Amino acid sequence: MRGKNAVRFFSIIAIIGILAWIGFNGSILGFDIPGFSDFRPGIDISGGVDAKLYAVTEDGSLPSAEDLEAAKITIGKRLDAKNVFDRVLTIDTKKGYVLVQIPHKSGQEFDPQKSIEEIGATALLTFQEVDESKKDESGSYLPTGKNVIVGGDVEEAKAEISQQDGSCYVALKLKKEGAAKFSEATERLIGKPIAIFMDDKLISAPVVQSHITGGEATISIGGTNGSKEQKAEATELAGVIKSGSLPFKLEAKQVQNISPTLGSNALTVSVEALVFALVLICLYMIFYYRLPGLIASIALVLHTILELLALSWLGITVTLPGIAGVILTVGMGVDANVIIFERIKEEIRSGKTLGAAIDVGFKRAFTAVLDGNVTTLIAGAVLWNFGTGAIQSFALTLIIGVILSFVTAVTATRIMLKSISGLEVAKHVWLYGITMRGGKSNA
Amino acid sequence: MPNINLYSKRYIFFVLSVIIMATGIITYFVKGFVFDIQFQGGTVIEMHANKDTFTANNVQQIQSEVAELVESSIGKSAYVQKSTTYDVNNKSDFDVIKISIGSNETLSSTEIQKVEQAIIDELKLTAEDPVISEESVEPFIGKEISQNGVKAVIIAAILIILYIWWRFKIVSGLSLGVFGVVGLLHDIGVMITVYLIFGIPVNDSFIAAMLTIFGYSMNDTIVIYDRIRENTRLMKKIPFPELVNTSIIQTMNRSINTTVTVLMAVITIFVFGKMNAIESITEFSFPLIIGLISGTYSTIFITTPLWVMWKESQKKSKVKPAKA
Repeated sequence: MRGKNAVRFFSIIAIIGILAWIGFNGSILGFDIPGFSDFRPGIDISGGVDAKLYAVTEDGSLPSAEDLEAAKITIGKRLDAKNVFDRVLTIDTKKGYVLVQIPHKSGQEFDPQKSIEEIGATALLTFQEVDESKKDESGSYLPTGKNVIVGGDVEEAKAEISQQDGSCYVALKLKKEGAAKFSEATERLIGKPIAIFMDDKLISAPVVQSHITGGEATISIGGTNGSKEQKAEATELAGVIKSGSLPFKLEAKQVQNISPTLGSNALTVSVEALVFALVLICLYMIFYYRLPGLIASIALVLHTILELLALSWLGITVTLPGIAGVILTVGMGVDANVIIFERIKEEIRSGKTLGAAIDVGFKRAFTAVLDGNVTTLIAGAVLWNFGTGAIQSFALTLIIGVILSFVTAVTATRIMLKSISGLEVAKHVWLYGITMRGGKSNA
Repeated sequence: MPNINLYSKRYIFFVLSVIIMATGIITYFVKGFVFDIQFQGGTVIEMHANKDTFTANNVQQIQSEVAELVESSIGKSAYVQKSTTYDVNNKSDFDVIKISIGSNETLSSTEIQKVEQAIIDELKLTAEDPVISEESVEPFIGKEISQNGVKAVIIAAILIILYIWWRFKIVSGLSLGVFGVVGLLHDIGVMITVYLIFGIPVNDSFIAAMLTIFGYSMNDTIVIYDRIRENTRLMKKIPFPELVNTSIIQTMNRSINTTVTVLMAVITIFVFGKMNAIESITEFSFPLIIGLISGTYSTIFITTPLWVMWKESQKKSKVKPAKA
C-alpha cells in the first residue's frame, strides 16, 4: 500500500516538474513545445496599434458579412504591400467593423498610425465621367461625382501581356450590374476619358476606345511595350483596382497606439505580481491548513503552470487584464481546497477516522465547489460574449482558470492527500489543523 | 466559532448598506461619474518628458503651457496632467505628460502629429521616441460599451438565477437565486459608490470588474446555500431562522478564507500596479477588492437574512388564511 501511495504522490510531483521544465525551456528531449514565454501578447503588452475600422455605408446601414470579409481580405493585401505580415484582422458583423491589430516590431520602419489611416481612407474606388473644365494646376482631372461604376462593380482586375505586341495592360472584368452601367457610359463617352479615382485621388484616366458591352474591358498603359516600367504600372493599377473594390469607406474610429517600452514594463510587473501572489497564498494555506495546505500549494503551482501553458498552447492573446485574470484565478484556485479542508476538519471533529474524513470531506464539499464555480463560469462566458479585445482575454483566462481548478484543487489534491495520509507520520490530526483536546483523537 | 445570532442583528447591517448606497446616490448627483476617454470620446496622448522638464515649482506652469500649445496648434482645448512612471527594465523613473483632448471627433493623424511636434519643439524633448501612447475613441463607442455592460449584467443575472433554481430545488431554489442576485446587485451598488467617491474613470474594465464580482461573489452565497440545503435534511425540527444562522456560522471560516486568498491575489495586483504607476491595472483591481469584500459581507449580512425574512413572511401569509 505504502509503495503504491508513494508512486501516486511522486508521479504528480514528476508531472509538475516536467511541465515546469517545458514551460521554462520551451522544449523537452529535443522536441520543441511552446513554453510560458511563447504566448501571443496583446497590443498593451507588445506595444503596437489596435484600430477598429468602421464601415461607412452610404445609407448608414450595416455592411453585409461578405462585404466585411472582402474588406478584411483587402486590408490584408494592403498590409502585405507594406510588409506588415504579423497582424491580426478580425471582423465584427454585428457592429460593422474590421479590427486591425499590428504589434510593434523592433527596427521596423513603419508608422502604424498613418498606415491605419491610409488603409481606411483609400477604400473607395470610383470610375467617373470627367469634366474638361475641372482640372487642377498640373492638368489632372478633378472628381466630378458622376460615377460610372464603383469598386464594388469590379469582379476582377488582372495585369496581362498582349500576345501580339507584348504590351502590358489591365484586364477588367465587371459584375453584371456594373457591365450594364459601363455599357451605357462607354456608348456615350467614346473618345472621352473615364477617370479612375481612389477617393479623391486620380489614379488613371484611360480614354474610351469603343462601346464596351460584355463587361470585359482592357486598360492599356502608355510607354514602351513590354518594358519593365509598363509591366510594373499595369500590375500596380490592377492591384489598386482590385483592392479598391469595396462598396464602402472604412474609417478608423477607435485607435490605440502604444510604445513597446510601456508594454514590456507592464509585463515585467505583472509577472512579478503573479509570483508574489502565488507565494503569499501558498504560505497562507500552509499556515492555516498545515499538511493539506502544503498539498493545496503544490496543486496551486500545478494550476499556475497549466494555466500559463494553456494560454500559449491555445494561442490566446494575452493582454494585461488577461494576466490579471491569471493572478485572480490563482487566488480562486484554492477556494475549493478551503471548502474541502474545512469540511474534512468538521468530519474529523465529528469523530470520523482520518481516511473516512478525507473521503467524506471531498464528497460532501463537491456540490458547493461545483455550484460556485459554475456561476463564475456563467459570468465569464457572458463577459467573453459581450467584451471586446482586452476584456475577452480576461474572460478567457478566468474561464480556463476555473476549469483547471477542478483538475488541480479537487482531483490532484485528492490523489496527493489520500496517498500522503496513508503514511504513518502523516496521521497526526495536528497536521490537519485540528487543535487537540485531550490526547490523540480518533484519527 | 461562537454561536452569535446574526439574524437578530440584521437591521444594523441593513442600515449600514443603505448608508453606503445613499452616499453613492448623493455623490452621483454632486459630482457624477468620471468617464474615461473610452466613454467620452476624444484622444489621449502620452509623452515621455525629459528628466529636467519638470521641477518642483513649474508643474502647473508647464501643464497650462502645453494646454495652450495644443489650443494654438489645432484649435482644440486640452487637459494636461503630469505623472511619473517607473521603468522596471531600466530601474528608473521618468515623467509623463498626459494630454487629454476630449471631443466629439477623434483627432486625425495629422492633428496628432502636429500636437506632438509642437510639444517636442517647445519642451525640447530628446528621448528617442518621446511618444508613449496615443489613443483615440469616438464617443459612440462608450454608449455601446455601457449598453453592452447593462445587457451583460442582466443576462448573467438571469442565467445565475436559473442555475440556482435548478440546483437548489429542494430549498425553494428560485427565491434563493433571486435573493442571491439581489446580493450581487448590492455589491455592484457598493462598487459604483466607490467609483463615484474616488472618481475612478468608468471604462470597459469597470464592466469586467462588475461581472467578475457577479460571478465570483455568488460562490460565498452558494457555500451557505449548500449548507442550508444539507441542514434542511438534517435538522427538520429547528426553526428556520435558527437553521440559517447555524449554517452561516458553520461556514464562516470558509467564507472568510476563500475571500482572503482571492484578496491576496487582487491586492498584490493592485500594489504592484500602484508602485509602478500602471493605471490600467490599478483601475481594474481596486474595484475588484471592494467588490470582493462587499460580496462576502452581503452574503452573510444582507442576502441570507433578507431571504429568511422573505421565507418567514411567506410562512405567515400561508398560515393566516388557514386560521381565518
